[in-house]
Amino acid sequence: MTSRNAAPDAPAAGGRAGHPWRKRPARFSMSVMDAAGPVFRVESPAAPLRRGRDAIGRPVRIAAPIVRTPPSIRRLAMTNQPPVRPEWTTTIDPILQKELERYVLVTNWEKLLGMVDVVYNWGRRSSLWPLGFGLACCAIEMICTASSRFDIARFGAEVFRGSPRQADLMIVSGTVTKTMMPLIARLYDQMPEPKYVMAMGACASGGGPFKEGYNVVSGVDKHLPVDVYVPGCPPTPQALLNGLIALQRKIDGETIVQAPWYRGGVERDVPIPALGPDLVDLRTVELAAERTAQGLIEKREAGLEKPRLIPAPTADPVDPPPAEAPSGKPVKKPKQAVARPSAVWLGDAGLAELADRLNAELGAGTAAIVQAGLLIPAEKLVDAARFLRDRNPIRYDYLASLQSVHYQDCIEVNYHLDSTSRPGSLILLRVRVAEAEGEGELPSLYHVYRGADLQEREVYDMMGVRFVGHPELKRILMWEGFAYHPLRKDYLEPYYEAPTKVFASRVDEGFGRHVRAEELNPHGTNLKIPQGFKDWASLSGSNDPKGEAPLPGGVQVEELESDQFQVSMGPQHPSTHGVFRMNVRLDGETIVGLKPVMGYMHRNHEKIGERNTFLMNFPFTDRLDYLTSMGNNFGYALAIEQLMGDEAKPPERAEYIRVIMAELTRVASHMWSVGFLLNDLGAFFTPALYAIEERELILDLFEWASGSRMMCNYFRFGGVAADLPPGWLDRCRAIVEDRLDRKIDELDRYLSGNEILLDRTKGVGVLSAEDAVGYSTGGPVLRASGVAYDVRRAAPYGIYDRFEFAVPTGRAGDLYDRYYIRILEMRESVRILKQAVRKIPEGPVLAGKKSYQIKVPAGEAYGRVENPKGELGFYVVADGSAAAYRYHVRSPSFINLTALERMCLGRTIADVVGILGSLDIVLGEVDR
Amino acid sequence: MTIGRGVIRGHAVTLRRFLVTFARDFRDGLALRRRGGGGLLVDLFRGPARGEERVVVQDATTEGLFTVEYPDERLPVYERFRVLPVLVYDDEDGNVRCTSCNICAKVCPPQCIWMVQAKSPKGTVVPLPEDFFIDMDVCMNCGLCAEYCPFDAIKMDQNFELANSERHQTHVFGLQDLLVSSAYYAQTHPEAWSGPEEVAERAKVAKKKDRRLQKALGVEA
Repeated sequence: MTSRNAAPDAPAAGGRAGHPWRKRPARFSMSVMDAAGPVFRVESPAAPLRRGRDAIGRPVRIAAPIVRTPPSIRRLAMTNQPPVRPEWTTTIDPILQKELERYVLVTNWEKLLGMVDVVYNWGRRSSLWPLGFGLACCAIEMICTASSRFDIARFGAEVFRGSPRQADLMIVSGTVTKTMMPLIARLYDQMPEPKYVMAMGACASGGGPFKEGYNVVSGVDKHLPVDVYVPGCPPTPQALLNGLIALQRKIDGETIVQAPWYRGGVERDVPIPALGPDLVDLRTVELAAERTAQGLIEKREAGLEKPRLIPAPTADPVDPPPAEAPSGKPVKKPKQAVARPSAVWLGDAGLAELADRLNAELGAGTAAIVQAGLLIPAEKLVDAARFLRDRNPIRYDYLASLQSVHYQDCIEVNYHLDSTSRPGSLILLRVRVAEAEGEGELPSLYHVYRGADLQEREVYDMMGVRFVGHPELKRILMWEGFAYHPLRKDYLEPYYEAPTKVFASRVDEGFGRHVRAEELNPHGTNLKIPQGFKDWASLSGSNDPKGEAPLPGGVQVEELESDQFQVSMGPQHPSTHGVFRMNVRLDGETIVGLKPVMGYMHRNHEKIGERNTFLMNFPFTDRLDYLTSMGNNFGYALAIEQLMGDEAKPPERAEYIRVIMAELTRVASHMWSVGFLLNDLGAFFTPALYAIEERELILDLFEWASGSRMMCNYFRFGGVAADLPPGWLDRCRAIVEDRLDRKIDELDRYLSGNEILLDRTKGVGVLSAEDAVGYSTGGPVLRASGVAYDVRRAAPYGIYDRFEFAVPTGRAGDLYDRYYIRILEMRESVRILKQAVRKIPEGPVLAGKKSYQIKVPAGEAYGRVENPKGELGFYVVADGSAAAYRYHVRSPSFINLTALERMCLGRTIADVVGILGSLDIVLGEVDR
Repeated sequence: MTIGRGVIRGHAVTLRRFLVTFARDFRDGLALRRRGGGGLLVDLFRGPARGEERVVVQDATTEGLFTVEYPDERLPVYERFRVLPVLVYDDEDGNVRCTSCNICAKVCPPQCIWMVQAKSPKGTVVPLPEDFFIDMDVCMNCGLCAEYCPFDAIKMDQNFELANSERHQTHVFGLQDLLVSSAYYAQTHPEAWSGPEEVAERAKVAKKKDRRLQKALGVEA
């Protein structure tokens, strides 16, 4: 405080730096004061009386000359202090003052502005323009809130803007990942004042169920100021509206006098965090550097129990040495599941024959049978794959899935191959490479199966295994420069507590006090940086380690001196169906290169899945493809039931319920995808609104039976969680028998013949049948290209073999076929549904007794279902413990993206939007 | 001439919907009544009191869908609808049903349940929770805790109107925040409440309590 400011004869102010009037905003009094100099004035009743109390009962006389507030104090004024008028009091009879107030001084500044406030706030709260910005599952509910059933327009908030510069409300809807956080901060900074942030759902509020993940920000309020939190996972549309009302109330309470955005020198922008070895908040970089140098993370980890490594499976299963349990008791030898890669596969005899053939053709030692899979030496992998694809009697032309497992002695990369000409003859190839980090190396199958492209990059990213011959081996889900390969067993996350759940702090005696995960980490946030990291000065929020690399084969534009240029579409783009990004190289308007950039929604599903007990993982699978949670449940249940064997055979009624739920999901998901494909093509929202109607009714059914619209968590091993509630089947029958057909017809009549649609879609984004198979696409994308490959037929699961349905295929493989195939598939689904609701028997819905302690025999399984997006597979390695040793999701959305560039080359940007829409990706599944 | 026919046919669909909407409103109450039993026009100026909002049912027979005017109207809440867990205490004697057996904490997928077992002054474990925490910023509303609770103690609440402006002080629910009465539970979950399993469970508990009471009173068994 300066002497200028402290008036010597002001007893109330002297020596009290915190006295409110000093923090006043200077602005409102200046004009009067400057002219009049020190004045005495009778003003508001509130201020002098309050002042009077402050000054221990004495009449207060403040004769301070009004001085311009120095900037330091003006900055103080940013905090929301109640403004105190700088007009003073003199000793005055309170009765006289009251009379004066009543008859002479009609009002004061606050009251005057209060009237303005009413109008001002009403206007602002009734016209909130949200940023059209969705991150994850919650975004779907946000879109539903905007749709006709809930109609956010009633609150004046329907104008979802694509650009942050036109928006004043950011609804952070979904999991905030580290990869996405810099972009969210940038979007926030671009929004004009006044701006509000709403954290929708548990993830945005505080990290949510994925909080323990290595790529998840523990609440967006770690970086942005949040105005309203909407709890729920996900909040229903009504809950979001409730949050919006809460925000409106908050706005109602604001006054123009205090509004920080009209004050000079107020900087409300947030610094953009940097993607270095981890996401580093630049506000705390010194502290982070200091703590990292001290090795606090390493010290903490030294005291924790690490995940156990198991040896890789061998040809003749010798008993693994009984590992010591932490308690000291020897672990019982786990039961072994029947060795088979999947429920429907080539069979032992066929596999032996195949191994012999490989050994005969490519030299002895090419293939050895290990646990129903062919173990192939790395150097022979490409030859073997070429042989299997081109010369084997069963042409293995379809790489169904590719994943890796970190064992004690090696990292195993394994491949599920299937044949589109003879579906159901799935085989498993195993290739083993060195275990040490960064050592593993094997030849890439990129040139044999193009579908291996993104999947190999994923293995490289997650396990650090290099694929020689892959043209573009870069990190795919995390960013270049991230310090770890997270799916290796020796990587412990920042919030790591124990190798498997249940965490001891929750259940053991003496514990049980609530502790936030942040408190476990020495950095106080989800941060882990190797102790040796020194390059702190280079961290900058403007780095873009995910999308920096030039397009493959591309040349720097400046050097080329042509009219090629590079456009980054996404990750915040209304047409990318989430936080997906495409780096596009254009020559004029023609696309000459396109690279998908993903990982903005990578929320560590697989790593968390290796810590969850088998049962716990169910609700996590809901959040993969959040439009089809029932289908995800189905696939996961199948994988584990394959290991558990007959013990977990669902009863008849449960099988029917599963099929009904899966097919309803397919209709709902296809409705959504058709609606939003049209949206992408420019038919803004009317088709989507029409399509969402039926989806809403189906979601009502889901909510009725399972308790949640989207995150159903309804399946259990050996059945379903609960029987259908009374009356459910009647409504389901009514919807299936009378309603859906009519609605699909309407949608068909409404859209399919539309010339604009035909113009935009016919011959666009063509994928030939050969390419579709080669790129490992699945589901409607594959079938639109004329390949009748449907897992429900190729490898029937559940009771699908009992239903009559066709597998519709397209001919041209263009955008139109991919649209129309979905209409046809909906009809087939309704056909299955009709059969199922007619035949569903009474009876139990769960095999055995309901228990949360599920014993899963050791072994490997690959459960696959035909999800609306394509083949959804769950690859599980169980070691007999309560949790999966390795858990991998073969996600159709992710793998379908491999073919994106192929379809887009030579087309225009506007077509890319439509082509991406026709792939119908869901980012929760792409990035997992 | 085929050009444009498909567009026109498509527009006919939207036009039909547009007209049907008005025709229907006219038919069903001269546009003075809202569909689904919703409010009259006067209600525009007089919102229903809290808890008295109309429930709007939309089912297979509804033509299209119509807007639910939340907060004045609501969708029906299905019994199984789940948001956050709550702990039930019995109205008759005020006993918390939870015995702090930890099963909910053991099945909780994101591990958002913490529980402190009660101890008697002698140090023995008392089958009651001393404290109970649920971090609703982590909870995924999956309902597994309620599903596997052997004592019908933890249940999923249906209140979704939880928006607030602060999370660090308010989003970790302690025991007192979580407790709801059995009457409340019976009201929100009527089917489960009167279902055979819960009735049997309640009878069993009542019998046990009675025996304990008898013992405490010194009555010979």
